[in-house]
Amino acid sequence: MNAATLQITHVSKRYGSGTTEVIAVKDVSLSVAPGEIVLIMGPSGSGKTTLLSMLGALLRPSTGEIRLNGDVVSALKENRLPEIRLRKFGFVFQDFNLLSALSALENVAIVAELAGVKGSAARRKAADLLASLGLGERLNFLPEKLSGGEKQRVAIARALVNDPALILADEPTANLDSKIGHEIMRLLRGIAKEQGRSVVIVSHDQRIKDIADRVLWLEDGQFKEMVTMATDPVCGMTVERERAFQAELNGQAYYFCAAGCRDEFLSDPARFRIPASVAALFGDLPAGEPNPLDQ
Amino acid sequence: MIRLAFRNLFQSKARLTISVGGVALALLLILALDAIFTGVEQRITIYINNSGADIFVAQSGVRNLHMASSSLPNSVIRRVKGVPGVAAVTPILYLSNNVVLNDERNLAYIIGLPEDAVSGGPWNVSTGQSRPGEGEAIVDRSVAEKAGVSLGDEVKILGQKFEIAGLTEETSSLVNSIAFISMDDFEALRGSYDTFSFLLVQVDVGTQPQAVVARIQAQVRDVTAQTRADFAGQERQVVKDMSTDVITIMNLIGFLIGLAVMALTVYTATLARRAEYGVLKALGVRNRDLYRAVLAQAILSVAFGFAIGLAFTWILAATVPRLGLSMVMEISALSLLKVGSLSLAIAGMAAVLPIRQIAGLDPAIVFRGR
Repeated sequence: MNAATLQITHVSKRYGSGTTEVIAVKDVSLSVAPGEIVLIMGPSGSGKTTLLSMLGALLRPSTGEIRLNGDVVSALKENRLPEIRLRKFGFVFQDFNLLSALSALENVAIVAELAGVKGSAARRKAADLLASLGLGERLNFLPEKLSGGEKQRVAIARALVNDPALILADEPTANLDSKIGHEIMRLLRGIAKEQGRSVVIVSHDQRIKDIADRVLWLEDGQFKEMVTMATDPVCGMTVERERAFQAELNGQAYYFCAAGCRDEFLSDPARFRIPASVAALFGDLPAGEPNPLDQ
Repeated sequence: MIRLAFRNLFQSKARLTISVGGVALALLLILALDAIFTGVEQRITIYINNSGADIFVAQSGVRNLHMASSSLPNSVIRRVKGVPGVAAVTPILYLSNNVVLNDERNLAYIIGLPEDAVSGGPWNVSTGQSRPGEGEAIVDRSVAEKAGVSLGDEVKILGQKFEIAGLTEETSSLVNSIAFISMDDFEALRGSYDTFSFLLVQVDVGTQPQAVVARIQAQVRDVTAQTRADFAGQERQVVKDMSTDVITIMNLIGFLIGLAVMALTVYTATLARRAEYGVLKALGVRNRDLYRAVLAQAILSVAFGFAIGLAFTWILAATVPRLGLSMVMEISALSLLKVGSLSLAIAGMAAVLPIRQIAGLDPAIVFRGR
């Protein structure tokens, strides 16, 4: 695995002091690799928002360290944080949070302009990005004229326009119907796997587990459970490794939703070729390496 | 960010209308009042400027016409005529009093003109004579029209009835008008035949009036001589002295109304977009860029308000004379500069509260559902 994009070490966040002290996040450590999708789930009030705010350099941890590409973001002075947020992070929000007075193109271009890209170049870059997300015909539409899915794609384009290393997404599918939500999930997966960006998602949406490499359960400000996801090579279902049926072949572990799938796989492994992209997606197989099933 | 300010401004048409309209009205108040007083200043010196005199000679210490009284003995005419550089001298009698037209009383500069006057008479006669004969008066056309009288009708001046023998243009202002009668009638009414109010002096061609003024002051005792420009300047100063307080108060009222409207609309506009400013902060936009957007929004609103206020003032200035009102509105460069500066001050001050609001905005609200 490459050096982590994001590394947080023993991070805590306290509000208030003495008897009124509330610890929102307690001694949390996490490392997110390039191209990895980490899903953070947990009940309301578990500290997800506080953690996400700290990861996005919007909030300073009370203790601990947050590193982005090796730089200690948590130690930076307040006046340097906007620059870091602008260039190193991409944010995707639950409510899309587009600027209502600006067109789709302008919503994306303004972020590039603020990062120093000249007006026409910023607009070109924004237009290309929006076109690649299927919004080439919607460039000059105001947000109010866009559907929920289109708004979220504009928000994703905005998050990507400054080429950030890390995408932070807060409930990115919450206001979308199932089909559009799935489309957004596919987009986020593409961003991670094809562009090598790390993606941290906070969500209640169980469907996002399907694209996550890891699922972390945050409760009372602490990670209680960590789940690593894998794809059943027989039926294609996304399964939690820790709870799945497992089999090993040529030194490689495989995970199954049920014993039936496992037995079917073991009876004739050659039938169940795992596409390299899927294998890489779930860490079963480093991208570019030969598929063990081919051996 | 300027584009964002522009778009934000135009997105809510109702807010834009209230904001720009309010500022436009407030600035219109200041501009129109300035224009009225500039018009008064200009009109109050119209007799001086169109008299044809290069120099005005008055009793010692008298430096203007308005609300002034001057008395010069006959002998002064001869002495002034003897000053090198003086080409012609016209004595006039002057009094500020009412003319009564159809029972309507109008304050007027009443000028008594000698028959052979080479200067000091009406300069733009629309109807009738340009010199009043015995028992005749020349009055302002707009004042006469307003009172419903015309050529041949009666006018009462200094308690005496005169026949209107001529009607003049450009001889009335918000303050007063000008009426001309003959010197003989004026003397008879006053009961004094050996004094004049002012001497209107014309200088030889190529001679500097300022030099002749200096000679008159040196050679003729107990008089105050001034060039036409200086005399007019003194006259304007009187109006300024009288109107400064009113203008200051009205400017202050206009400024406060403009400020209140602008501050309220910029504040509510910022409040309405609080979430969006929070998003921009979260995305990494610096506070100073957001301040610039708010300030640009305020400046744009005020600039539009200023332009609309100015346009309405121009329309008013063009319309007022056509309504037959004895008022002229003149928009001066100084007034534009003053109102422009006030507008900038309004924009700057109106942006203070929203800027403070943005400064205190926590960008993490984007993750808290606001």
